[in-house]
Amino acid sequence: MNEPPVIPPTATPIPAATGLGLQRPDPPLGEVESDRQPITSLVAAIEAVLREPRRVLYQLTQPHQGRLTRDLVLVTLVSSAIYGFVVGTFSGGQQLMAAPVKIAGGLLLSALICLPSLYIFSCVSGAKVRLGEVCGLFAAFLALMTILLIGFAPVAWVFSQSTASVTVMGALHLIFWFIATCFGIRLLEHGFHHHGTQGGMMRIWTLIFLLVAMQMTTALRPIVGTAPTLLPTTKQFFIAHWLEPFQQSDESSKTNAPFQAGQEK
Amino acid sequence: MIFNSLAFDLRHGGTLLRGESEEIARWLERWEGGRLWFCLAAVFAGAGLFGAALGAWRSPMQALYGGIKVPLVILLTTAGTVLSNAMMAPLLGLDIKFRQSLLVILFSHTIAAIIMGGFSPVLFFVVCNAPPVPTAASASTAGHSIVLLVEVALIAFAGVVANVRLRQLLDRLSGSPPISSRIMFAWLAANLFLGAQISWLMRPFVGSPDLPVEFLRSNAFQGNFYETVFRALMNLFHS
Repeated sequence: MNEPPVIPPTATPIPAATGLGLQRPDPPLGEVESDRQPITSLVAAIEAVLREPRRVLYQLTQPHQGRLTRDLVLVTLVSSAIYGFVVGTFSGGQQLMAAPVKIAGGLLLSALICLPSLYIFSCVSGAKVRLGEVCGLFAAFLALMTILLIGFAPVAWVFSQSTASVTVMGALHLIFWFIATCFGIRLLEHGFHHHGTQGGMMRIWTLIFLLVAMQMTTALRPIVGTAPTLLPTTKQFFIAHWLEPFQQSDESSKTNAPFQAGQEK
Repeated sequence: MIFNSLAFDLRHGGTLLRGESEEIARWLERWEGGRLWFCLAAVFAGAGLFGAALGAWRSPMQALYGGIKVPLVILLTTAGTVLSNAMMAPLLGLDIKFRQSLLVILFSHTIAAIIMGGFSPVLFFVVCNAPPVPTAASASTAGHSIVLLVEVALIAFAGVVANVRLRQLLDRLSGSPPISSRIMFAWLAANLFLGAQISWLMRPFVGSPDLPVEFLRSNAFQGNFYETVFRALMNLFHS
């Protein structure tokens, strides 16, 4: 009589799956058999980045992860150069060579600029991670981003052949780059989550990387259109550069548009 | 010998950044020269790179000066406040030795310097992309303002993280948040008071566009930071 009702035990909450569309518990890296399969070739690396990110993340924690990191960097350079070639088809001529070099080189330079701060932020966020592992994670992020860009390349090519507006093409490339970067960031956060990062500190680094990469597109302009010189002769911040087309009359063309800088990265 | 211990300690740089209080508290238990050398090297490398990146906007010579002066500001502030900080700690309830208080503050400054060093490529990139130093008096000083703003934001971030780590360490050492709060406040007050003056003496770091590049201003020792602020406030109210 008058016994308190029995409260059913609360179900143990399942740890939230982090990123990459995982809707199931995310066990520690290496616990799943497929994580432990070595990645031995470039093709396997590409496939793993897209389909088995946990496998990549686990392999990057192994003693001989340098080779995988090197493969991922190679994938990044090749993929970004391919996408750059598609970007160059908008203007043709010397841009067919210049755009791939600028995009691949600019991405690599942005990565080098942001790598030290990524290591700092990961440590400050509590991650127990070596510099080599940070390099590997960063390479995986860049590889995924650029592989996705290749996926968007046919769409970009169709538009580049059907429009003469540098502004439209710049905006389109920028949208593709943002989408690809979002997926890359999710992979990066997933990786650092397994290294023990806490809090939202890594979001600040993400913002820094985005700003550096966007400024890089302005520093290396023109990437989409053309200009008298291969590199800019004046310094400008990317926001001011991007606002130029809206401040001037809509006379942009492939040859003399103010929106000549590449916004595509 | 020094380099062996330095290499050993470099592996522990992440320990400071992560704020592993237990491990850091163990470091404080016994004096190790290698750890001191590591801190000094990290301050010179990290803050030096940051100062050089900052000065690069103006000229290569200003970059060299900045690379020397920014670490000096940190180390001179540490040296100038070490006595008062060591005395205040026991008075406020934390019984630690002189060398321990020195190391605690140096660890905090080392964290800030490592973070500044990590940001130096970003700062250098900003400097490279900032509009050049204006030559005419009427020219825009937007570049100067941008460099200054980015510099302040990055230093503020480094300072906040370093102080959060310092607070965590003091919490562990004292075992009492009220005590660590008092010590933190006292140490911060001393460091900020002296640090502001040393920074003022060591100016310029970026350099006003209309003034020449110098290691120290010719009037560096005339007046002080607080007088200048006071005069600026007076001018504001009288204008």
